[in-house]
Amino acid sequence: MELQKFYYDNRIVKMFAYATLFWGIVGMLVGVLVAFQFIFPELNFNFAYTTFGRVRPVHTNAIIFAFVGNGIFTGYYYSLQRLLKTGMASKWMSYVHFWGWQFIIVLAAVTLLAGITSGKEYAELEWPIDILIALIWVIFGWNMMWTILKRRTRHIYVAIWFYIATFVTVAVLHIVNSIEIPWSLLKSYPVYAGVQDALVQWWYGHNAVAFFLTTPYLGLMYYFLPKAANRPVYSYKLSILHFWALIFLYIWAGPHHLLYQSIPNWAQSLGTVFSIMLIAPSWGGMINGLLTLRGAWDRVREDPVLKFFVVAVTAYGMATFEGPMLSLKSINAISHFTNWTIAHVHIGAMGWNGFLTFGMIYWLFPKMFKTKLYSIKLANLHFWIGTLAILFYSIPMYWAGWTEASMLKQFTEAGTLMYPNFLQVVDQIMPMYYMRAFGGTLYFLGAFLLVYNIYKTVKAGSFVAYEEAEAPALEKEGKRKSGEGYHRFLERKPITFMILSIVAILIGGIVEIVPTYLIKSNIPTISSVKPYTPLELHGRDIYIAEGCYNCHSQMIRPFRSETERYGEYSKAGEYVYDHPFQWGSKRTGPDLWRIGVKTGKNYKPDAWHYNHFMDPQKMNATSIMPAYPWLARYEIRLDQTAAKIRVMQTLGVPYPEGYDLIANDDLKAQAAKIAEGLRSQGIEISDNKQMIAIIAYLQRIGTDIVNGEPAAK
Amino acid sequence: MLTFEKHNNMSTEDKNLHHGEPEIDELTQDRYLGGHEYDGIRELDNRMPRWWLYLFYVTIVFSAVYLIGYHVLPEGSRWASQEMEYENEIAAAALNMPADPHASIDLASLVPMTEQSDMAAGEEIYNKICVTCHGKFAEGLVGPNMTDPYWIHGDTTTNTITVKDLYNVMITGVIEKGMISYKDQLNPEQMQQVIGFIFSLQGTTPPNAKKPEGHKFDVIG
Repeated sequence: MELQKFYYDNRIVKMFAYATLFWGIVGMLVGVLVAFQFIFPELNFNFAYTTFGRVRPVHTNAIIFAFVGNGIFTGYYYSLQRLLKTGMASKWMSYVHFWGWQFIIVLAAVTLLAGITSGKEYAELEWPIDILIALIWVIFGWNMMWTILKRRTRHIYVAIWFYIATFVTVAVLHIVNSIEIPWSLLKSYPVYAGVQDALVQWWYGHNAVAFFLTTPYLGLMYYFLPKAANRPVYSYKLSILHFWALIFLYIWAGPHHLLYQSIPNWAQSLGTVFSIMLIAPSWGGMINGLLTLRGAWDRVREDPVLKFFVVAVTAYGMATFEGPMLSLKSINAISHFTNWTIAHVHIGAMGWNGFLTFGMIYWLFPKMFKTKLYSIKLANLHFWIGTLAILFYSIPMYWAGWTEASMLKQFTEAGTLMYPNFLQVVDQIMPMYYMRAFGGTLYFLGAFLLVYNIYKTVKAGSFVAYEEAEAPALEKEGKRKSGEGYHRFLERKPITFMILSIVAILIGGIVEIVPTYLIKSNIPTISSVKPYTPLELHGRDIYIAEGCYNCHSQMIRPFRSETERYGEYSKAGEYVYDHPFQWGSKRTGPDLWRIGVKTGKNYKPDAWHYNHFMDPQKMNATSIMPAYPWLARYEIRLDQTAAKIRVMQTLGVPYPEGYDLIANDDLKAQAAKIAEGLRSQGIEISDNKQMIAIIAYLQRIGTDIVNGEPAAK
Repeated sequence: MLTFEKHNNMSTEDKNLHHGEPEIDELTQDRYLGGHEYDGIRELDNRMPRWWLYLFYVTIVFSAVYLIGYHVLPEGSRWASQEMEYENEIAAAALNMPADPHASIDLASLVPMTEQSDMAAGEEIYNKICVTCHGKFAEGLVGPNMTDPYWIHGDTTTNTITVKDLYNVMITGVIEKGMISYKDQLNPEQMQQVIGFIFSLQGTTPPNAKKPEGHKFDVIG
């Protein structure tokens, strides 16, 4: 058979690897900043662009989509070409993918800091960027599938199965979750509201973890771990079962983010059981990784790359056991809304994604630069610093989470809350926030050792931009042969493989989301729930822009400890006009859903809100909330009111016809009343400030069912 | 058990691609799969670990039981929905709820507590609750200044303000001004302690004091 000569493009790999390092450092640095903002509210700098609510999404997006994203592409471009014995099908597509992705990251950082956000976690980017992401993602996937079709190997390896599943699922998730109607060049409202928005968002959010942080990294593990250990993969059969089980089951598990919240009980139960069923398929990857090292454990002691891989895979195993446990209602009742979740995700991000990336980079650079790693010692030091950092980060956060739950749920013998003031809990966990910041800083410093080591390695080596290779062309082979396993046959039919993956991942999503549209009883309507006034709508958009949902929930769960603290528990029908929903996922501060209820336990007058926004520490000395003085300076954009109302009408919010034209009259009247009240308290403020709008919004949320008729049971 | 590939007779492809490669892994004595080689990575023909498969089966059985228990069993014998759970929790709490300590209080018997220990307890309560609206030194913030002789809720017939008056404010709250009721958070003794502490601040002149509100009353305490 004639051998064909071809070239592996290492340049694209190198570019993605540099981007991984660069964004990794940036993302971790931002993480360190937000960690310290918990301790020193002054670090918010009284400046809109550097406030926690805006910076935290920059940290999460930078780590997930910039650091891990570029990490995926680094390993993917390196391994794909070699596993298929061909160069990339299209060079320009590779480079458009690279620059497009970096451009998206820059746009993300700028817009998020500017307060341009959709307010949906891990999907905060606004509609023009959403479109760009979809385009770049399709270019990436197209190039990949084209390359697979051009391959010189008969079968596609398990790593590539994971790449294919990643490509199709992320595309589906991103597009479905981002369906929104723009009301300006940069802003939009999602078509989903309340319960539906929550279900779609967490179907997306959970599967961003599954198909952005997990499946592509399993693909990378299946390539880099056996390569670095020079050992065969433990079990092909295990690969098959755990792959299909994983992608089929994962997609159903989203509702476990919404346990005890206002979604139907049946959807919650599906979230729980599919999470439990995920334990074994997830562990399949860990087992196949760890058992691949059988016979090579002596080398793990010496090789930092293998050390990083072992901790990464172990962290993966821990996180994928913990996740299903957190999906049990009784445990979720404790963990949810607390720092426990923060600990859990950082085991995943720092341990699994971070360490796998570090190991891969330490292995890749000497290969591509035809040299040895500059310093094994430094890499080992990085390993130990990183491992300690993960412990310093996660243990205090677990501890904090447990403390929060115990204190918030504790009653006195007299039947009242033991700690009625949320701040008592914040005060208690401050030492844990200190330790967490230390752990995070340590992890960041470790990453610097990596950068230095790679810099020295690059200096010492000589880069091979296009690596020559040769292999015989692939002969056509059609039907399944006798004795050929069905799956083996499928492995040489990549398009069929892709279609089957899509089918596997669509089933769960359809079953969980479609019924909330079709079956009315899933979201019982409440007639007293009315649309927001134009002023409140502006206030809501400010709430979203400032990222209040990063620290405050708008979801009271049906527990005595919550109804006693916050008031009547939340009902599905209360949120039907919430485009997007703002239930939140973490309570650094208290829930706000019934803060406007005058007979409630948390009611605060307008003047209190004004003073609190201006200087939270003046109202509560130990509060860690940042100040928002610009809300008293910035004006409400009256010119946007009409467009907002029209889009809401399109989405089915029942404003009367022609209301867009007169909405500003109502807005001004309501604003004047609130501003008048504030001025009577000696506060100097004019009617048209953002402060007025956000106060109006806070005084409105969660009040309709209390002021109107009681909700249907 | 699940099987994915027939291995009893090796396919022609396996034979063709398998030239010269070992069939058994030296370190573990496991069998390689013929033809499974990707950029030097080979795959072993190991069975899935039994315990792993059983774990998977157990989680599937758990899920079936879970769904049946919560959603399939006839209503009544089903496990509680979250709404039911809540009702049960509230009912259980109501059974154990002690009587409202405020219900049996004789207003006339109320006195400001002035013992050293009571003052300290009062100060602690003040700093936990009242400080938010009345300021660090009771100088007034959103709520009124409580260091000057001007009061909003005194008794205009006698021109005095007593423990009883402040107690009533704390029991009912002043909703329209943003003060909630504290009857669930503080018992009568605690209220007397904090009132004692507040009255002790009369005549202090803290910085940034809010301008007087209400009428000038004599504090009877």
